Formats: sequence, structure tokens, C-alpha cells
Amino acid sequence: MNTPTQDYRRTAFHQPERLLKGLDAALHGVGGAYRRRAGVLAGLRRQAEQVDALAREYQDLSNHHLQERLLECRAHFRRGGRASADQLVPALAAVREAADREVGLRPFVVQLMGALALHRGYLAEMATGEGKTLTAGLAGVLWAWTRRPCHIITVNDYLVQRDAEWLKPLYHFCGVRVGFVTGMMPPDERRKAYVCDLTYATSKEVTADFLRDGLRVGPLRQPTRRLVRHLLRPAAEGADGLVMRGLHSAIVDEADSVLIDEAVTPLIISTFRANDALREVARLAHELTQPLRPETDYWVNHRYREVELTPVGRAKLAELCAPLPGLWRGPSRRMELVKQALVAREFYQPGKQYIVADSKVVIVDEFTGRQMPQRTWRQGMHQAVEAKEGLPISDPTETVARISFQRYFRFYHRLAGMTGTAREAAAELWQIYRLPVVTLPTHRPCVRVQYPDRVYPSEEAKWEAVVAEIGRMHAEGRPVLVGTRSVMASETLAQQLTEAGLPYKLLNAVRHAEEALIVAVAGEPGRITIATNMAGRGTDIKLGVGVAARGGLHVIATERHESGRVDRQLFGRCARQGDPGSAQALVSVQDELLRRFLPRLVHGQVRRWVKAGAPGAQAAAEAALALAQRNAQRQAYKLRRSVLRTDDWIEESLSFAGSETG
Amino acid sequence: MADAPLTFSESWYRVANQRLSLRPSVKVQRQWYRGERWLVLQDPLSNQFFRLRPAAYEFVARLRPERTVEEVWRECLERFPDEAPGQEAAIQLLAQLYHANLLQYTLATDTAQLFQRHQKRQQRELRARLLNIMFLRIPLLDPDSFLVRTLPAVRPLIGVFGAILWLAVVGVALKVVADNFPALRNQAEGVLAPDNLLFLYLGFVVLKALHEFGHAYFCRRFGGEVHTMGILLMIFTPVPYMDATAAWGFRERWKRVLVGLAGVIVEVFVAALATLVWVKTGQGAVHSIAYNMMLVASVSSLVFNLNPLLRFDGYYVLSDLLEIPNLSQRANRQLRYWSERYLFGLKKAENPAHTRREAVWLTVFGIASGIYRVIVFGGILLLVADRFLLLGILMAAVCAVAWVAVPLGRLMVYLASSPKLDRHRPRAVAVTTGLAALAIGFLQFVPLPHHFRAPGILRSRQWVEVHSETAGYVGSLLTRPGSEVVAGQPLVQLANPELELQLAGAQAGRAEVQARLRQALQEAIPNLKPLNRLLEAATKRVEQLESDRAALTVRAAQAGVWVAPQVEDYTGRWLPQGSELGLLVDPAGFQFHAIVRQEEGDRLFAVALSRAEVRLFGQAGQRLSVRSFQVIPGEQSRLPSAALGWLAGGSVAVKPDDPEGRQAAEPFFEVRAEMGSGAEGAALFHGRSGKIRFDLPDEALLPRWIRSLRQLLQRRYQL
Repeated sequence: MNTPTQDYRRTAFHQPERLLKGLDAALHGVGGAYRRRAGVLAGLRRQAEQVDALAREYQDLSNHHLQERLLECRAHFRRGGRASADQLVPALAAVREAADREVGLRPFVVQLMGALALHRGYLAEMATGEGKTLTAGLAGVLWAWTRRPCHIITVNDYLVQRDAEWLKPLYHFCGVRVGFVTGMMPPDERRKAYVCDLTYATSKEVTADFLRDGLRVGPLRQPTRRLVRHLLRPAAEGADGLVMRGLHSAIVDEADSVLIDEAVTPLIISTFRANDALREVARLAHELTQPLRPETDYWVNHRYREVELTPVGRAKLAELCAPLPGLWRGPSRRMELVKQALVAREFYQPGKQYIVADSKVVIVDEFTGRQMPQRTWRQGMHQAVEAKEGLPISDPTETVARISFQRYFRFYHRLAGMTGTAREAAAELWQIYRLPVVTLPTHRPCVRVQYPDRVYPSEEAKWEAVVAEIGRMHAEGRPVLVGTRSVMASETLAQQLTEAGLPYKLLNAVRHAEEALIVAVAGEPGRITIATNMAGRGTDIKLGVGVAARGGLHVIATERHESGRVDRQLFGRCARQGDPGSAQALVSVQDELLRRFLPRLVHGQVRRWVKAGAPGAQAAAEAALALAQRNAQRQAYKLRRSVLRTDDWIEESLSFAGSETG
Repeated sequence: MADAPLTFSESWYRVANQRLSLRPSVKVQRQWYRGERWLVLQDPLSNQFFRLRPAAYEFVARLRPERTVEEVWRECLERFPDEAPGQEAAIQLLAQLYHANLLQYTLATDTAQLFQRHQKRQQRELRARLLNIMFLRIPLLDPDSFLVRTLPAVRPLIGVFGAILWLAVVGVALKVVADNFPALRNQAEGVLAPDNLLFLYLGFVVLKALHEFGHAYFCRRFGGEVHTMGILLMIFTPVPYMDATAAWGFRERWKRVLVGLAGVIVEVFVAALATLVWVKTGQGAVHSIAYNMMLVASVSSLVFNLNPLLRFDGYYVLSDLLEIPNLSQRANRQLRYWSERYLFGLKKAENPAHTRREAVWLTVFGIASGIYRVIVFGGILLLVADRFLLLGILMAAVCAVAWVAVPLGRLMVYLASSPKLDRHRPRAVAVTTGLAALAIGFLQFVPLPHHFRAPGILRSRQWVEVHSETAGYVGSLLTRPGSEVVAGQPLVQLANPELELQLAGAQAGRAEVQARLRQALQEAIPNLKPLNRLLEAATKRVEQLESDRAALTVRAAQAGVWVAPQVEDYTGRWLPQGSELGLLVDPAGFQFHAIVRQEEGDRLFAVALSRAEVRLFGQAGQRLSVRSFQVIPGEQSRLPSAALGWLAGGSVAVKPDDPEGRQAAEPFFEVRAEMGSGAEGAALFHGRSGKIRFDLPDEALLPRWIRSLRQLLQRRYQL
């Protein structure tokens, strides 16, 4: 039997503040800068040292007594308010001791600082390999003690399971029930996992569960409404069948990837619905585009990924459409459909954006190179690509519920995060999520050697240099990790390596568990690993025997990413925890980043300089890269903000259709 | 061509299964604009209007509680494949209808959101009100039931009978005006006298009340409801207003136009009646009130109400006549379109005009109203600032915010973040800053011819007054005034019979003394001495009288031009001794004495004046060159001639307590300009007034404006 409060909380979540504009936003930004000030770090360190100072006291306690202490703390925390604030330092010291005993790892002061930062609702920037999982565990215990739903969000199902199981003894010892949710779990198991004090899950799973719960209760998601109804008609169906028990706190691992890079990716719950008309339309549109040629019939705008018909193309199209039925007679509709087909032809390339498997189009995530069999492009686009590939055209999915991660994570009452790279996006994290960023120092000084970028005049020259560089490192017996931007690029490189007779491992759209295994051994002497930028995130690359003496792992980035954060992440794979290591980016002026995000004039000039090998060309190219990254970031931020504004607008304007989120 | 909203929308699922419909109370009217059919939805409760294209209406009209939006949308798409709104457009349409409170839906309303919306709207209205502080509206009552009850009494006047009556009265009044035009014009000069202002205002209020009732009754007569009546603070002057916007929902254009014109129709009628009263009454209060009513009714209604460039009646009438609703907004959009399309190179910008003619109308209206607003509001601002210092500064601040800062800010935001400009931002920013820089550069750096004017009076360098040395009747003119004379030339002949008699008497007296002298030589030697003295005296008197008689012929004391404007009037009149008959003026040298105000003083001394020329009143076409001029350093306060002061019709303010009218209210500088010798055909007369124009070195406009603004502030507020 649930209490009314518990029942109320089943669907309760935090109503996010409005997105500020103009001067309000500027003032708010000042507030964010204050929260990020340098003094915060000093405060964290002081508190962490207080915790550290209590170590002796707890080390001598027996397991039984320690557990008693922990349960006492739990009681304080559950009461909340001052009681928990006063108990913070001793509680954390006790949890630390428990971690030492149960997991076998003794959290460093830096990790304590991280846990305190998370507890204060900060986004803690911690270098990779600094033990983020354990840090999150410490903070997770503190939050889970309150019995409010607390979610720890990690990158993939593999890590969800691994982390939950790894830290289970610690949680158990501290009196915290822990559960985890992975992709294929049935609702009953999910419910069990969410009932636990602490739940590990991926962002996709929590968001999907949130949406599904919303669909189940409908307008009764509004807790007050449901409660009143329940009081009036006790027999009426209440919150039965819900999986979650409301949203309260969340600790997001790899927060920048979830909250920024994938922020606007909508999570969609959809059903398939037969729609012969659309299938027919997609096929026809594809046929109509056959006679159209670029330049004469349409212009392709690579910068904005758009297609525009020329007058000639329009005339041709009108002629072609004359014998067709109604939908094709008017200019606006047919133009839209044909443009879509042309976009499918020009910008959607097999191997890059998708692959064809079992006569189906499977979307490939451009960031990770991973296949996304569940995902489809928006209505019509998917069909257009299928038509282009000559595959049987599938029925369009029909959206039933939809939310972007950006909107979803704003619903948490208490949000904290960890990542290796967040500084670049501090302003955005504050404006949108009210998450201040604090950068924690590394436990041991970092000895990574970062070589300056090398810029080549053409793609071919770049790949040649990459192969040569790999060969050189291989000869030295150093392991090499090569990051590529797309699956296609990694395949190109693999082929060249095969030709050069170098042994390599290609990480490419395989299962996470295997991925992690491959990445884990990428530090063996002489090993060459090719991976897309984000592959195997969250797994340590441990150096093999004798590798450290030869200079450690060498990381080669074959292209700069649109976001400097992703670059830093790749470089961060080497020289972890005080190990030696080096990193370098080899790029060409023909890279997509420069092509898309530099003003055309600037790009042309830089290209000429690099080609001519002019003095200072490397420096100019470096500056151009920085500029391109900044432009790309700004453009992306604007897009994300406008998506959020549009979401808000729709939420407000369509509130007659019932609020999506309650 | 612009991208049409997409056929498919990712948010469609939100509305697809909803069962919606228009609220039952919503009224729908069909209207035609420039040959296109539109449908106007009206919510009678909130008096809000919403215009729809037929294709959109087909969709909206099909919405029923028993069908889902998805079903309706599919049906529309099947029936009108090309015109039917796409999902994106349909969502937007529904959202707009929801915002306008025209939509009925089944789900429980999100009350919090409703309140939020209400609050937002109130804030918006408050902001609009503050920004439009010159025309602040304060709603007070609902006059509808009153109108309905009294309509039967007024109804006959709104119709054929009324039209005939109106034409007759106005026709007669026009004739009266034509007949009495000079009298009318004369009286106009006293209208703004302070003692008339109260009458003027009262007349204004009564008239505007009638005006508004005109709108209201016309609107009610055609079936529109009028629910708001209140007070409009027009430049802080309260006048009544009524809200007859219900007329916008009328189907027939002539009805909308007529309601729009109703106010002016009533005012002109009142003006006509007032004219008839005015012409039948003599001086007095009634006469004066009638005059004021007439003037206010005709001037205010023609200049303000019918002027389409301000947003009064004329604007709405024009908008209806041109069949372009929301004329002003669309004109602005059109101007924006031109600049986006041609200045910023946005090929995808959507032309708000559907036809060429419409585009022309919108452009012309946009530019004209823009310029007009600047002028009118600038004028109003100065007027108010002149009367109330603190209020003036406050209003200037508000207006600066509303008309300068806000639009500028909007422009910045638009340039910086409008998604439309995304791909053309560098060019848009470059063009805008370029144009601004060009304008500022032109104003700041391009020197333009520059001059200032000062009033003054023409004087001969050398001149003598001609006086009558002896009293006498003015007899004949010996030399015509205006001609050149030589020294000693007789000018006027005076006659003095008494002098002749005195002379005769004196001569007789002298003869007597001479006779007595001769007698004494023989008889009494000792008497000789006194008699000799007596003779001397008698002789002197005769000589004196003789010279007086000679002086009856007034002669030129020196060579010059004989100027005697009034002497001909004197013929036959008795002039006492020493009366001024005229002037002898040296024609070779004239000086122009100019009065230069304090503010212009610095320019007199600071810069080298390059050239000056004089224009005399009455000969404005003729520019008289100036040989040289000299600034008298040191300020003066006594005018060289009363003709320059206010009392004598000049333009320089004088102290009211000075009976001579020569004591200037503010000190001034005097400039003496030597006129060129060749008078270039102009008649240079001593004492003619005129204006002198000093050419300053070429100077750019902006520094000049800043200086005048500062001088204005300095003069008005002693800042």
C-alpha cells in the first residue's frame, strides 16, 4: 500500500525554469560564472581534506560498527535539511572506508572532491582514468540515502551493468539498494530496478521509460490531478503499471556527450502504421529525380546540406509531373518531396550515414560509427533513402511520444555530472541545465606530450602521413590508437594499413562488451587500434609491459572534430593516471570541418598557403582550425537552443492537446 | 520561392488524435481583398479577429468533436492536394487559434498555462501602452446598451435622408465660407491666443465626443457591437474614444469604410452648422465658440483623422479602400523584404505583396508614413517640451526609448540572431554597418553650404533730416521727393501770412524810429544815443523776420536724395517750427544694421564669415551684395529701429514695458554691413527692413545639429 505522498511522487518531476533571453540571460550567465569561480575548488579541497582527516578514526572500526555508523548517517540523510548537511563530512568518510573494504579501492582526495562537487550539483570535469565510476558511486550513496529516486546515467548498457555490479558490494554495505536497467529488460524487471534507491541506466532507457510512463497515465501524469481523482474515486485506476517512481536526482556520466552532443537527439516512442500512400510517394519522388543532374537541374549547398532546384530543373520537373495524380500537380508539395529525394541522394551516403543490412537501411551514428537499428530518420526521409537504395520501402513510423534529452534532463530536480571535457561548454551547461562546471585536478600530474597539429594539403597526403607515422611508432614498439571521424574513414585507413602490411584492430560497429575488450588491450606493445572517436568511451587503456618505458600510448587523430571536447577526449585516451603518452592530430585542409565551417574566402586562402608550403602556413591552418571549431560550436549551440525554444513553444501552444509531460 | 512549411511534422502526433473544433460562438464572415477571398473569424466575447485563407479555413471548418484532426487533415489533403495546409502549417494554425481563444477542445485546460498566458498578454499590453504614451487609452464604460436604446432616434439620420441633409447643410456652409473667407482668415490669427485656448479645448472635447458617437452609431446601425468607451490621453489632453473595431468583421467593404468615415462625417456636419451660426451672430461668446468649433472640426478631422499616415480613421479607411488589411505592418514587412532581398541578398525572402500594385502601395505607404511620423512626433515632442520642462524631458526619454532605442535594439537582435539571416549574416551586417557608416560619415564629414540669417534694417551711411526752420503752412513742393538735389536747392515752400504781417509791422516800427532819430538830430541831441539803440533793435528784428521769411523756402542743406514720404500729405497744413519734413540721404552709401541673436554670436566671432547678402522685405527675389561688414563687439540691447521689434511687427522680442518698442528682450550683437554701391536695380531706401544672410564656411550637418540641439537646450532650460 502506497502512501499518498509516495503515490504523488510517482510521476512528479521538476518543472524547469524558462529559458532566459537577452539581459536576463546575461545576468544569469554572471551567476553561472560566480558558481564556477576558482574559490569553489579550494572549498572542495578543504572539505575533502576534512574527510581525509577522519580516515584514521574509521579505519579502526570493525565492519559491524562501520555499518552501524553508515546506517546512522542514512537516517540523517533521509531526514534531510540541516541534519544531512552537518553529517556530510563524517558520512563521506565512512563511505570511503566502506569502498576501501568492499571494492578494494581507496578513493583519493581528488575523488572525494569529485563526490562533494557532485553532491553540490556541479558538473565535475575529471580527466579520464581518474576513477569517475567510483566517484559517482560515492555521491550516489549520499543521494540514494534520501530514498528519493536517484539515477546514475552512463553511456551504454555494458557500462551500466558493469558499474552496477562492480559497486554492488559497496552499496549493499552502505544500506543502499541498487538496480540497473538495460535495453532488453521487460517492464517488470525495470520496475524492480527503479524501485531501488539507486538505479543505473543509459540516458535512452530512462528517457524511454519516462515517455512510456507518460503514455500510460496520460493527463493523469499531473500528480495533483491524479491524487484528487484517486481521492474522489478510490476504485479508479491510479498510477498502476508505472515503471518509474518519479524524477528527482541524476548523476550523468560523460555529461557533455549526453547533455550537449546528443542533446537534441529526440527519443521517440513510435509505432509502425501502414501508409501505402507515403511509400508510393517516396518511390515516385525517387523516380522523378533520376533525370535531374546537379548544376544544371539543381544546386547542392554542402555548407547547409541543402538542395535548391534551378529554373531548368523546375521546368523539367513540371513536365515530368504533368501526367501524375493530384499531389504532384501543385508546385509546392512536389518540390518538397523531390528535394527530399535529392537530399537523400546527395547527402546520405552508404557507409557514412547508414549501411544496408538484410535489405534494410540501418542508420550509423556519425559520432560513434555505431549502427542504430532502432532509429529511423524523420518521416519521409527514411523512405527516400530506401527508395534510393532500391530496397522495399518500409512503413513510416508514427510518433506517439517524443522528447529530446535536452528537455528530459531539465526535469531532474537535482542534476550533477561528470566528464573528461566540459570547460568548452560551461556557458551552455549553465544556461540550459543550471549546471556549473568545476575542473578537478588529476591525482597524479599528467605527462602527456601533445605534438602540434600537422596540416596536409590533401586527403591523400594526410593518409600517407598517417600510415607512415603508424609505421614509425609500430617500429618503436609503441601501441598506437588512431581515431577517425567516420566509419568510412576508418575503413580507408584499414585498407591502407593492410597494404602497408601492418597488423591492426578495427573497432567498428561491434558490441560494446567486445569493444571494451579491444580497447582495454590497445595498450599492448606494438598494437595498432583504429577506432571512431567515441568508441569504447569509459574504458581504460592499460599500458602493456614495457610500453611506458618506450613512451606509452600514442594517439593519432586523423581529423579534427567539430567540437574541441571530442578531440580532447581522444587525446585523453593516452597518458592516464600519470602514465607517459603522446598525441598528435594529422589533418588536411580538405577536411569536412574546414570545408563546412570556415568562410569560403578564408578556407581558399588557407588551402593555397598550405599547398604552397608558405612559411607560417601551419600556424595559419592551426588558427583556421580553431576558428572552424568555434563556428561549428556556435552553430550547434544555436541549433540546440532553438530546438529547446521550439519545444517550449510547442508545449505552450499545443497545451490544448494535453501537456506531453504533465 | 520560399520554402513552404513542411507537409510532415515531427510534432504531428501531439494533435493528430485530438478532437477539436471552433468554439460555437465564433462568427465567420467572408471578405474580399484584392480579388482574393479571406475568411474572418471573430470572437464576440474578446472582440478578437483572425483572418484565414480559404484553404486554411477549409481545414478549420471541417474540425468536429467527433473527428480527429488527423482524419480532417487527410480529407483536406485529398481534396486540395496543393493548397491544403501541411502538418507544420496545420499545427501553427491550431496554435494560433488556441492563442486567440477560438478553439474548443476536450481535454481539461492547463489552468496554470492559461494564467501564464493571461499575464503575458497583460504585460504586453502594458508595455505597448507605455510605449504609446502619447496616445494613452483608458477604457471606462460599456456603451452598447445605451447605443441600442438610443439608436431608433438616430437611425433616420443614418441613411438617405441623413445623406441629403448632410449634403445640403455642408453645401450651404461651403458657400458661406467662400463668401466670408477674408473675415474667417482674420479671425484665425487670434485662435491661439491664451484666452481662447479653453474655448478651443472645450470645443474639441465636445466635437470628439460627437465624432466617436458617430463611429459608434454607424457601427451599431450595421450590426456591430460597441463595448468599450473611455478616455484617450492625446498628448496628455483627455478626449473621449470608442472602440468600433467590430466593424472589421463586416462583410461589405462599403460598410467598413463608412464606419471608418463616420466620425469625420459627423464632424464636418458640426463644422457646417457652426459656420452657419458664426455667420449669423455678431461679436460675442456664441460667435467665438461657433468659430472655434468650426475650425477644430474641419482642421482636426481633415488633418488628423483623415490623414492615413497617422493611425486614425483615415488609415483604416485607406486600408479598406486599398483592400490591404494591416497596411502598416505589411508596409513595414514590405520594406524589410526589399532590404532583405536586395541589400542582404536573401533570395528566399518572402515577398509580402501578392501583386505588383500592392507592392507599390505598400512601399509608398511605408516610406511616407515613416517620414511623417518622425516629423509629427518630433513636433509634438518639442511642443510638449516647450510647455513642461520635466515632463518634456521624461517624454523625450520615453520617446527616445520607444522610437530610437527599441527599434535599434530590434535591428541589432535581428542582425545578430535572426535565423533568416543565418547564411547572409556577414553581408547583412556589412551592408547595415556600411549604410550606417555612410550616413554618419556623410553627416559628419561632408561639408555643406551653410548660412544663417538675421533681421536688420537699411540705413544710409550719411543723412540729414530736413526740418522746417519756421512755422508755416505747407505750400507747394518745389522738388519732388525721391529726386537728387544739390545743396541749396529749394525743396518746399511754406507760407506764413502772420510772418508777413509781423515783418510789415517791424518795418513800420523801424521807419518810425528812423523818423524820430532825424527829429532828435535837430531838437534834442541827448536823445540820440537811446534812439540809435532802438534803431539797431528794430533793424535786427526786421532782419530776423526777413531771414525767417527766406527760411519759408526750405532748401537742401547738402547734396543727396530728397526723401519725404509724408510731405505731400502735409500740403496746406500748419507745421510748427522744427517739424521734420523728410531726409536728405547720401545715395552712395547704405549700411545694413543686422541684429544677430546670442546663439549665433559664437559663429560671428569664431569663424571667418565668408560672404553675406541682404534681401529686403518686399523684394525677396533680389539679393543685394554686401561689400564688407563689421561686427560691433559687445552686446547691445537697444534696437536700431522699432521696426525690428515685436511691437512693430518685427521678429525680435522686445520688452513689453518699453513704449518705444526698442528695448530688446535679449541682448544681441549688431553687425553693420556696407551695401554695394550699385543697387542692382533695387530701391535702397533708408529704414527698409530685411534679412541678411551670412555665408559660413561649409560645415557638415551633424556638428551643426548637435550645436543647435545644445543651443536649444541651453536656451529653453538654461542647462
